[in-house]
Amino acid sequence: MLDRLSPVPRARLIAGCESVELVAAESLAEPGSEMRSVYFPTGSSISLLMPLDAAVPPEVALAGSEGFYGISVALGMSISPIHARVQAPGTAWRMGASGFRRELSRTPALRDGIDRFIFVSMAQLARNAACNRFHVVLQRVARRLLMSADRAHSPTFHMTHESLAHVLGVRRVGVTGAARTLQKRRLIDYSRGTVTVLDRPGLERASCTCYREDVALYKRYLG
Amino acid sequence: MDVLRQNLLLAALSAAQLKRLSRHLELIEMPLGDVLYESGRHLSYVYFPTTSLISLLYVLESGASSQIAVVGNDGVVGVALFMGGETTPSRAVVQSAGEGYRLAAKAIKSEFTRGGPIQGLMLRYTQSLITQMAQTAVCNRHHSVDQQLCRWLLHSMDRLGVPDITMTQELIASMLGVRREGVTEAAGKLQKQGVIRYRRGQIHVLDRRKLERLSCECYEVVRSETARLLPWVAPH
Repeated sequence: MLDRLSPVPRARLIAGCESVELVAAESLAEPGSEMRSVYFPTGSSISLLMPLDAAVPPEVALAGSEGFYGISVALGMSISPIHARVQAPGTAWRMGASGFRRELSRTPALRDGIDRFIFVSMAQLARNAACNRFHVVLQRVARRLLMSADRAHSPTFHMTHESLAHVLGVRRVGVTGAARTLQKRRLIDYSRGTVTVLDRPGLERASCTCYREDVALYKRYLG
Repeated sequence: MDVLRQNLLLAALSAAQLKRLSRHLELIEMPLGDVLYESGRHLSYVYFPTTSLISLLYVLESGASSQIAVVGNDGVVGVALFMGGETTPSRAVVQSAGEGYRLAAKAIKSEFTRGGPIQGLMLRYTQSLITQMAQTAVCNRHHSVDQQLCRWLLHSMDRLGVPDITMTQELIASMLGVRREGVTEAAGKLQKQGVIRYRRGQIHVLDRRKLERLSCECYEVVRSETARLLPWVAPH
């Protein structure tokens, strides 16, 4: 996301950031907590989870290097409505909320880039509402694995069946069955929580069209 | 000016701001079923409903649709326009006939880029819309049709300001993305329990408290988040 800024505003923004190493499952915000920082993941990804009567909150969005975490701050709010938890460990730029707001108001290109990302996130949220309703577990598992591989910048990444079941809001057996099918078709390898995408075009075909549409959206507005 | 203030977002603006904006605002009729936006089409206006209710639906390639948010006099339809998108990925349909104001794309964009209170207000509303969308996405997965119908009725009556909703079961089913039979059954149960009266597409809510108890938590989450972000808008 920062790469899309021109050199001067980018340098100024990064000068206001500190480089941090995010640890898997680290909590960055809880519902009702104050958001003191925003994060620009570089090698990590951050899962946004909606509190629900279910014990484990389901995922509503995933932020990686294509975007940032801190939409509420960009919209002028300081209290988080949701849980934010590190999905994939790795590096990120962290910036204080007030410094970020200052940069936003003095750098139109940053405001524009952030607004576009918010627009894309809303489009994805809308799609997820329909995807959750209509698409079968196998398609959703394939889509989610592709999303993780993209954000990991690698065909191999770590994700247990359990955490996949949580983020998708489905039962674990459903995920296990879907993973077995994908493995049998030689689209992925999945052992001890480590996923390797073996056949990317095949996995894309196994996914619902939502993945392809997400990619098109990124290209159009964030490309 | 008083009619303008029927939309609670517009009502939150100062007299001077509203006056400036009013030159570009045009009052229009919004008949039931009218499509304000088709997904993927170019956006020409944003809409501030006053007495109408607009349903935002996500439409899949298969044609199946699912509601992602309801916008009434609490908000504005067409957030994508000032968030940098030329088109919207959702369809906006009039769910309850009434009136509203429309504002040309150019006018809202220039107001937005001016910064200041109008931009701040639009961003706040965007945040509350995001919460509503995220909540709906998980609700679609986790909650029963019975609960979702209650949530939908509550959101709708809050925004209409009256306990009467004109709506066929067919339309409710397509909004919620469920089969019609599911809605018929859920509505039948509510009627039997004395919570609503349903006759020829007219729903009258008799017992609001009970409706709240039967709804999933999603109603309350969205209501309290709206109250936090837009305190002058929230019901109760």
